[in-house]
Amino acid sequence: MRSQIYFMFSNFFKSMGWCKVPGFMQAHVEMGLVDEVELKSLLEQETDSPQTKAASLMEQGSLREHRAKAPRNSVIQSFKIVILSNKLNLLLPFGPLAILVHYLIDNKGWFFLLSLVGITPLAERLGYATEQLACYTGSTVGGLLNATFGNVIELIISIIALKNGMIRVVQLTLLGSILSNLLLVLGCAFFCGGLVFSRKDQVFEKGNAVVSSGMLLLAVMGLLFPTVLHYTHSEVHAGSSELALSRFISCIMLVAYAAYLFFQLKSQPSFYTEETNQNKEMSEGDEVPEISKWEAIVWLTILTAWVSILSGYLVDAIEGASVSWKIPISFISVILLPIVGNAAEHAGAIMFAMKDKLHLSLGVAIGSSIQISMFAVPFCVVIGWMMGAQMDLNFQLFETATLFITVIVVAFFLQEGTSNYFKGLMLILCYLVVAASFFVHEDPHQDDI
Amino acid sequence: MSCCKVPVLIEAQVEMVSANELENKSLFRQEEDATQTKEASLMEQGSLSTSFPQHTPKAPKNSVLNSIKIVIFCNKLNLLLPFGPLAILVHYMIDSKGWVFLLTLVGITPLAERLGYATEQLACYTGPTVGGLLNATFGNVTELIISIFALKNGMIRVVQLTLLGSILSNMLLVLGCAFFCGGLVFYQKDQVFDKGIATVNSGLLLMAVMGILFPAVLHYTHSEVHAGSSELALSRFSSCIMLIAYAAYLFFQLKSQSNSYSPLDEESNQNEETSAEDEDPEISKWEAIIWLSILTAWVSLLSGYLVDAIEGASVSWNIPIAFISTILLPIVGNAAEHAGAIMFAMKDKLDLSLGVAIGSSIQISMFAVPFCVVIGWMMGQQMDLNFQLFETAMLFITVIVVAFFLQEGSSNYFKGLMLILCYLIVAASFFVHEDPHQDGI
Repeated sequence: MRSQIYFMFSNFFKSMGWCKVPGFMQAHVEMGLVDEVELKSLLEQETDSPQTKAASLMEQGSLREHRAKAPRNSVIQSFKIVILSNKLNLLLPFGPLAILVHYLIDNKGWFFLLSLVGITPLAERLGYATEQLACYTGSTVGGLLNATFGNVIELIISIIALKNGMIRVVQLTLLGSILSNLLLVLGCAFFCGGLVFSRKDQVFEKGNAVVSSGMLLLAVMGLLFPTVLHYTHSEVHAGSSELALSRFISCIMLVAYAAYLFFQLKSQPSFYTEETNQNKEMSEGDEVPEISKWEAIVWLTILTAWVSILSGYLVDAIEGASVSWKIPISFISVILLPIVGNAAEHAGAIMFAMKDKLHLSLGVAIGSSIQISMFAVPFCVVIGWMMGAQMDLNFQLFETATLFITVIVVAFFLQEGTSNYFKGLMLILCYLVVAASFFVHEDPHQDDI
Repeated sequence: MSCCKVPVLIEAQVEMVSANELENKSLFRQEEDATQTKEASLMEQGSLSTSFPQHTPKAPKNSVLNSIKIVIFCNKLNLLLPFGPLAILVHYMIDSKGWVFLLTLVGITPLAERLGYATEQLACYTGPTVGGLLNATFGNVTELIISIFALKNGMIRVVQLTLLGSILSNMLLVLGCAFFCGGLVFYQKDQVFDKGIATVNSGLLLMAVMGILFPAVLHYTHSEVHAGSSELALSRFSSCIMLIAYAAYLFFQLKSQSNSYSPLDEESNQNEETSAEDEDPEISKWEAIIWLSILTAWVSLLSGYLVDAIEGASVSWNIPIAFISTILLPIVGNAAEHAGAIMFAMKDKLDLSLGVAIGSSIQISMFAVPFCVVIGWMMGQQMDLNFQLFETAMLFITVIVVAFFLQEGSSNYFKGLMLILCYLIVAASFFVHEDPHQDGI
């Protein structure tokens, strides 16, 4: 049993070692595997061993090699590795079940719930497939892959909602994802880490945190100006000015995000060497990824398609669920959807914090927020531009104010470079305040569907 | 520089002018310069000292022709000077306001630089205290003069927007370009600057924002005691307080000068190596004063035409007045400081870049703005600190973002790029922003 854990651990550490993905993005990648490891150690282990043993037999000769040996798995093997080797995947059947319910029963509420549950494991599997693929593509493309696919679920849900013209849902979902990452995920990580290491303050690298906070402030700036422009009724051409401004700002934000990725990849080296040195002690297993490159691509496509299908039904069911449960749509979009969408990252961040690897937690939480605010939001605006949908960056006053305050609070908390359970508790309580605000907030700008 | 003993923070602006000069001299024609400087130095041969700081500058006695040569001709930028009279001609002959505006803008640009030069020369004679004060006042005299003219014409909105635009341009564009260019040159490391001074400056900027924010919020929550006159009274009171704060800031800087003298000596050592120039001022005290007055009068004249032409230019170019006042005017007005800050950053003297950029912002927000309110008070103009919601919100966010970026005490090209992109966002916002509170002219 122990050897299994070490094997998986070493597998992932070594694969991290020569995958050379950038430090802050490494978090996402590592997390996928760590999830697996934790789940394996906590839950059943018998089913896993035959597959992993079979996989490792094939790779026996390639111990400590530096080029990725692509394992040639049969379809059944691949299926077993990807689908069956993770206990979380027990939730997978909820997906098809949800679709059945959609056609059999007319209860939107149940259907919404089942879809949510069905999507949860897919997020985790997507992360796994991305990380596997990243092993083959080298550090740069690997980092880019992670940066793009890290929040692909939110992106897919948003694009489908955009197609349906549900612009408000898109804005609220993305906003909620940012808030959830900044407050809930980070807060839980700080809190749990602080409880485990209650005697000292955990430290993280201040430089990265400050740059990240700067990026978040830039994103807030980009969101704030169209909103203020709209609310001071001071546009040159009422209605179309802020749309044009939003599109221009979105292009600038995408440029900034590209520069950020470039900057992170360039200033990588110091962080990466530290990791590999630690890895060398613990690893004994092979260093190759579990599935071949083409398998990874195929699985990525399959999972993405599956997520899209489920998301389509999910988006359709939002209104109905809101009516049957008597909860405002904004609450569902801002609080419920992102909690589910971020479940895997959430667990990962908490685990990292408990292992005193707070910089990885930060990478997950803050990196995800930056991805959404500086990439997903402007990307949706641009996609909307191409589709002809009138998506702009005017998130309405209440939401923009909430985001602004949140970013300032979080930036302030990150300034010091240390964390303890109290800071974590503060952040979690902030999130509760935000959630409560959205529970009693009726969005006056509903989309008509 | 060494003989002037001006405070470090303000030294930046002074150094920048002479650095500009040095740069200009080295980049452009040198034959002309050589003769004047040689002549000037010949007269000071006996007083050329290898040991500095000197305590009594020898006043060179230049003839009128020499003086003109030194001040006017030894700077390539002064080729733009004829645009001034040309603009006035155009104003009377052609009816195209757009052209008048453009030519006046071009004509004012070299004057800003020459004013800085004259101020620095005068500062050599007056000792550090008054020299520092001179710099602090005349540093942004172009914007001040434009604002006072606009005030006289009752164009209160233009005044507010011009000053606001100058603050934004200094904080985002100038600083961003400096960080970016410096970061590109030194991309292997992060450039560092004095965190303590940066924090004090950020605090002052936040205080200025506070002063501007409260009247605006008071107005927009419709919660004034006497509607209309309350916020004017509040603005005037806040302005007095801000002027006091600025005076205290200058006092604090001049007093804590001695602590930062060691880096100053270091600077002077470097200067000694790089400058083959003499250490005496080039023109006499009275020449400096005369030139200062002439240049100021000239700037005032051109500004008068400039302010008149703003509306016409806005109509003929189809650009909102807000955009012209906030983005175009300050970029031109700050051109010299801009170049100076970038040069300092590329020489790894980031403290000086910061001094130029942030110091200028503080000068405008804590001195020029309240000063205009007080002048308006005396003129009977209803200038207040309520910059309207959109502009105030912009200023607030910008100051917070910049204060945050300065917290860390280091810079790299990425931070510079971020600041420049922020400025693009601000400029774009003003491009589509129609000011509903236009002055009727």
